Amino acid sequence: MVKVILDNITKRFDDFAALKGVTLEITDKEFMALLGPSGSGKSTLLYTIAGIYRPTSGRIYFDDRDVTDVPPKDRNVGLVFQNWALYPHMKVFDNIAFPLELRKFPKEEIAKKVKEVAEMLRIETLLNRYPWQLSGGQQQRVAIARALVKEPDVLLLDEPLSNLDALLRLEVRAELKRLQKELGITAVYVTHDQAEALAMADRIAVIKEGEILQVGDPDEVYYKPKYRFVGGFLGSPPMNFLDAEVQDPYLDVYGNRILIPIQYRELVKKLGVRKVILGFRPHDAEVVRGVAEGLVGTVYSFEPLGREQIVTVSVNGASLKVFAPEGEHFTFGEQVTVKLREDRIILFDKKTEKALEFLEE
Amino acid sequence: MKDVETRPKRYERVIILALLLASLPLILGFSLLTISSLSTNMVTNLDPDSFHSTLENWINLFKGKIATTGGIRVNIWRITLNTLVVALGVAGVVTGISALAGYSLSRIDFRGRKILMVLLLILHAFPGVALIVGVYLLYRLTFPQSHDLVGLYSFIYVILARAALEIPMSIWLMKGFFDTIPWEFEWSGIIDGASRITVWRKIMLPLIKPGVLAVALFAFLAGWQDIIYVRTFLIHPTLATFIEANIEAEYSHMPLIAAAGTVYLLPTIIFFITAQQLLLQSYSGGIKG
Amino acid sequence: MRKEKLRDLSFFLSPMVLMVLLFYLVPLIMTIYISMTRMKNWNVERYLTEFVGIYNYERLFYMFQHDPTFKAVIMTTIVFVGITLMINVFGGLSLALATFFINERAASSYRLLWLLPRMSPIAVYSLVWYYFFHGSEIGTLNSILMSLGLISEPIPWGQVTPWGAWSVIIFVNGLVGVSFGMIVFTSALNQIPKELVIAARVDGASSWQISKRILIPMMKWHLLYVLTWQFLSLLTTYPHLFLLVEWDLVNRDYGTTLALYVFNTAFGRGEQDQGLAAAAAVVLSIIGVIGGFVTLKVLQFEKMMKKPRGDF
Repeated sequence: MVKVILDNITKRFDDFAALKGVTLEITDKEFMALLGPSGSGKSTLLYTIAGIYRPTSGRIYFDDRDVTDVPPKDRNVGLVFQNWALYPHMKVFDNIAFPLELRKFPKEEIAKKVKEVAEMLRIETLLNRYPWQLSGGQQQRVAIARALVKEPDVLLLDEPLSNLDALLRLEVRAELKRLQKELGITAVYVTHDQAEALAMADRIAVIKEGEILQVGDPDEVYYKPKYRFVGGFLGSPPMNFLDAEVQDPYLDVYGNRILIPIQYRELVKKLGVRKVILGFRPHDAEVVRGVAEGLVGTVYSFEPLGREQIVTVSVNGASLKVFAPEGEHFTFGEQVTVKLREDRIILFDKKTEKALEFLEE
Repeated sequence: MKDVETRPKRYERVIILALLLASLPLILGFSLLTISSLSTNMVTNLDPDSFHSTLENWINLFKGKIATTGGIRVNIWRITLNTLVVALGVAGVVTGISALAGYSLSRIDFRGRKILMVLLLILHAFPGVALIVGVYLLYRLTFPQSHDLVGLYSFIYVILARAALEIPMSIWLMKGFFDTIPWEFEWSGIIDGASRITVWRKIMLPLIKPGVLAVALFAFLAGWQDIIYVRTFLIHPTLATFIEANIEAEYSHMPLIAAAGTVYLLPTIIFFITAQQLLLQSYSGGIKG
Repeated sequence: MRKEKLRDLSFFLSPMVLMVLLFYLVPLIMTIYISMTRMKNWNVERYLTEFVGIYNYERLFYMFQHDPTFKAVIMTTIVFVGITLMINVFGGLSLALATFFINERAASSYRLLWLLPRMSPIAVYSLVWYYFFHGSEIGTLNSILMSLGLISEPIPWGQVTPWGAWSVIIFVNGLVGVSFGMIVFTSALNQIPKELVIAARVDGASSWQISKRILIPMMKWHLLYVLTWQFLSLLTTYPHLFLLVEWDLVNRDYGTTLALYVFNTAFGRGEQDQGLAAAAAVVLSIIGVIGGFVTLKVLQFEKMMKKPRGDF
């Protein structure tokens, strides 16, 4: 088990910069999620750790060992691919045994190790089958078993759940998290699914266009987004954003005046910003009927979800989504007021789209 | 399905009929050849009176007599074997070399890769007849002194020379097959500690088995159907040179040659029936003619 | 790392490199060399070192101007390549479109049938047409026309110069080449999203309209591809022609293209003149290589070459 340190990694493909100076430290036994939209460079980063790609500049360390120029086979990493890449012409046993065979392990030891890992993943009855005879969930277990059998220092997972159906994904998610903790293995997990990252990871690194925007534990990135992008990428539905103008001590939000949240009063004065973006999560506000203190608008639509409902409110042309409790009945076009939970409001600088508290970093 | 199922059926029949009409000479020509081999005279004049069914041609053919009168004998089995040796040799050489080179062109980034690929395309388009003059000189210059080796030498030479002709396109074809295999398979092997050679042998080759088979099949047929190279380099006769030599020969009995032609056509027909999907799918890669 | 890559590359590439050297590069140099010697009847011992410079090229040029036989060869090459090319491209396109609109079973049977000319042994395929176009009553074409009362005497089609001979060689090679276009166009058609065809059908378009307005415009690149490659192929093909001429089915002068002329001059019956053949071969090669490069540029083949992934 090792600590992985990425030091200012840059990767260019011809004219395209896939990674721009990524620095990240993944501590021993940590479950790190690399979260970002497709094309953000998260998979490139994973494959750079694996050694498939060689960084254009920057260094990679496993503990104190500089592995930047070490070929993949000498890095002792296990990789689970999105499509699992099980060799279709080999039985499950041979698939799992393949890494050990390449390392010239004696036959009995291979058999023993394969059996162990198969039992751990509860696929010991499938060893004699071919991959195409297995269900998606079973194939995925085989892929994990193949990655684990060589007892890697780092387990790398590239969207391993995206080929499973939604229900199965929830199940495997919990299992995988537990497995990682039981084995105490350093894991790097690439995903574009924010719910997956929040549910499983110890820490999340949010990546956009080849840069890490924020690293932190799930609560941190969820409640304290450093950038508007992070707030907008995490949560379902994502954070609401409204353009606002500072008119001390008020904020003018689409014709509504609300007090500058208390945690920002000093900061706004100090920074002297005028144009900001007001962000809040759908569950950090409530919808009340009629005109009151808050953001006044009309009901554009509402979507019951069972336990709660999402109400889309149109405020002078801006649209925002708020959770409302079940049982409350709205009508289209009804006048309502959105009341915000003041302490959960985040203000972003309009120009840099960075949260005000990080603006001076 | 590539069209709506309710498309007018009437037009479909018209198209099928038109295609049949256009294909008629082709069907007619091949059928008449086969039928003639079962008759005492050629029936290519479409006159039903000239058809007198007999198995004599086939019997004579297998006995090795090429004239109903007189005693000109050839060992048709020997000739067929020669043809088979050339075809199998070409298939083996082409498949092996293109499986190797196709992999590296598809998967390894090295300087000169692009140039090599362009070069192969140019070589594929290169006039074969311009080469054969030089290839023959090389053949003459390297001809063995020892009399015992001449036959073997000419076999090896014709196989290599004919295979060379197929290699550029086969490499491209093979590269295309490797291109379809997801990179994850390769990476997975590499991370698990395999060298490129191991990846090629243990992971990639099994994965592109159909492609290997297709290339082998085309190369086999190329060697099987060849006439120019075998008549130029091979000392022993093949079915092609046998037919070539016996057209218009005074002693030869034409329905018997038709029987030989039918024998010669047989592998093609067998491949057609057994591997039609493979043929139609992978042929698009590249053919010349 | 670098050493390993070198080892891998030599493992994968050396057989091919050896093959290319031995059967392309060395022969090419030899052909060029022979074209500058007085090589005759493969008398290597006597003529291999008899260097004559560009004498053979001068002869070729002189023949081009004055020798009626050689002029016939050039004329035949032009007519043969031009007309066969058109037949190949449009025949292939028609076959692909026709089989696109009929049910899959019938379609693949027809496609296989039309692959037969290319797949058959050259000797057998030529034998088939030998009887079809035979100059006596035994010839299928003659007997059909005679029984229809269109002709009273059998006509030796291939000996009617020039168009009889040209028609036969164009017909025989045309059928071989059609399958190339057919296969390329069929695979192009299969890549066109079927929703486009279904949408057009729903809008009431006929098969002809679908072909003209949707399918053919989407196959422009493939048309160009077939056109240029088939041009190069026809310019250099000769095995079928060789047999038709050798069997006297078609007239020697008007059944011989430049490629066959090279072969027959170097390997044919009677007096062989490898020096002259090699010179003609070099001329043919230059046309071929220029054509090849033009094709690559026109088709932008470079764009199709994806870079391998990974830096290991």
